[in-house]
Amino acid sequence: MVVNGKNISYSYDCNDTSYALRNVDLSIEQGEFVCILGCNGSGKSTLVRHLNALLQLQHGELTIAGIDVSNENDIWRLRRICGMVFQNPDNQFVSSVVEEDIAFGLENYEVPREEIPEKVNSALLLVDMEGYDKRAPNSLSGGQKQRIALAGVLALEPDIIIFDEVTAMLDPDGKQEVLEMMRKLHKAGKTIIAITHYVEEAVHADSVILMHEGKMIASGKTRDILTDVQLLKIAEIMPPMAVRVYYDLLDAGVKLKECPITNEELAEKICKLP
Amino acid sequence: MNKLLAGRYLVGNSLLHRLDGRVKIICLLILIALVIGSRSVSSYAISVSAVCMIVLLSKLPPAYVLGPVGRLWLFFITIFLMNALFFDTLNPLYSWWIFHPSVAGIKQGFSVVVHVVLVLILSSVLTMTTSPTEVTTALESLIKPLKLIGVPTEDVAMIISIAIQFIPTLLEETEAIKMAQIARGARFESKKLKERAFSVFPLVIPIFLSAFKRADELSLAMEARGYRNAKKRTKRKKEPLSSKDYIALCICVALCLVQFLLLR
Repeated sequence: MVVNGKNISYSYDCNDTSYALRNVDLSIEQGEFVCILGCNGSGKSTLVRHLNALLQLQHGELTIAGIDVSNENDIWRLRRICGMVFQNPDNQFVSSVVEEDIAFGLENYEVPREEIPEKVNSALLLVDMEGYDKRAPNSLSGGQKQRIALAGVLALEPDIIIFDEVTAMLDPDGKQEVLEMMRKLHKAGKTIIAITHYVEEAVHADSVILMHEGKMIASGKTRDILTDVQLLKIAEIMPPMAVRVYYDLLDAGVKLKECPITNEELAEKICKLP
Repeated sequence: MNKLLAGRYLVGNSLLHRLDGRVKIICLLILIALVIGSRSVSSYAISVSAVCMIVLLSKLPPAYVLGPVGRLWLFFITIFLMNALFFDTLNPLYSWWIFHPSVAGIKQGFSVVVHVVLVLILSSVLTMTTSPTEVTTALESLIKPLKLIGVPTEDVAMIISIAIQFIPTLLEETEAIKMAQIARGARFESKKLKERAFSVFPLVIPIFLSAFKRADELSLAMEARGYRNAKKRTKRKKEPLSSKDYIALCICVALCLVQFLLLR
């Protein structure tokens, strides 16, 4: 297990008993694509911010690639292994030039100056943004900005990449660009942890963790979680359109062979109806 | 053209872009002294010509350079009128109620406005022709002596550099908040001065809140990418100053000397 957490609890106010996270157990395998799904305030961001020690572990245990997150001496090593892309791309840029922004992380790890340009170009290539090195991030579209923010993380060659609601501020095209990038990185062997409240974004994940009011209410294979409408209802998440259509058809007396989770699967199954 | 881009670094290869960051900051300080020292027509001519030459050498689109000036027109008119109407109450051209327009006041108002406009243009040219990393590196070098009295110079340089580049972002934010408030009935364009002055207050709180939120998110993003403090970072090679840097410095110092001689 690359991520192994037991009994994680967190409260933003130590004197308060209202926990943002309560007794969460977490285990993620190397190379897995995990989606943490939950409505606003369910504790998703609080949970993932423990993974690179942006939040200090208050209760429980958590190790990332064998590193104990509560060991302060290992924080910088941890943050290199576990990169994170945030929701608002504009608030992640430290420079108004793309190449300088991507180099920021490398400079923090004291990468020799002469190695930086090559690493910046490789990161730009990975996010299909080669040739944009001299551009200003604010002149790019939302999707392109997030890809540049991702390049800044990829330049550090992390094994685990956390996407913290990265599509929340993007238009449909931008969303697709970023989701495509997640799938590409997953295929390249990276461990992907994506957090979202849009169920349609979870359909390509290997597994889903369902959060509600600071608790993990379910975790398992994507198909098992996304087709369990009762569970999704508890988490205040609307099931994917394909699942809703499946149950509507069932009510109307039409039974598909298996509950689909994507629109493509749904179309295929409807076409196969006798 | 997006006026909100004004003040942000524009990639280029002009002579000004190629000058060393340290030299550009020192030249800016010398030229500010030159501008503020202008008193006579000839000294104004020198200052204005120097600023025009710098804008031409920067090869920046004039609309970008003049953008910040254009947005502050109301501020300039206010400064001019306050000086023109209240500066000299003993020898007024005409007096009415509390207003005493005078020749000395008009001259003073004109002088203050020209000074601020020229300083604003010079500062914009600096930020538009110097990348944030260059600004940080240059500032780090220039304020290094402060280390002796315990000032964390690397961190200060990083803070100033980030602050400079967030100014256009905050202007953008202000515009968005203003639009949202206009949509809800705020009257920023009211002709009544009192209404106009009071309408600014509801803008201040959301802008501060937004700035703090941005700062919070940016600090998280910086930490997530391994930022500890500015000391533990890859250092930029300090390039030795080239002949063009020395020439630029000499020209600025010479202009300042001429100004000083004209003032005597």
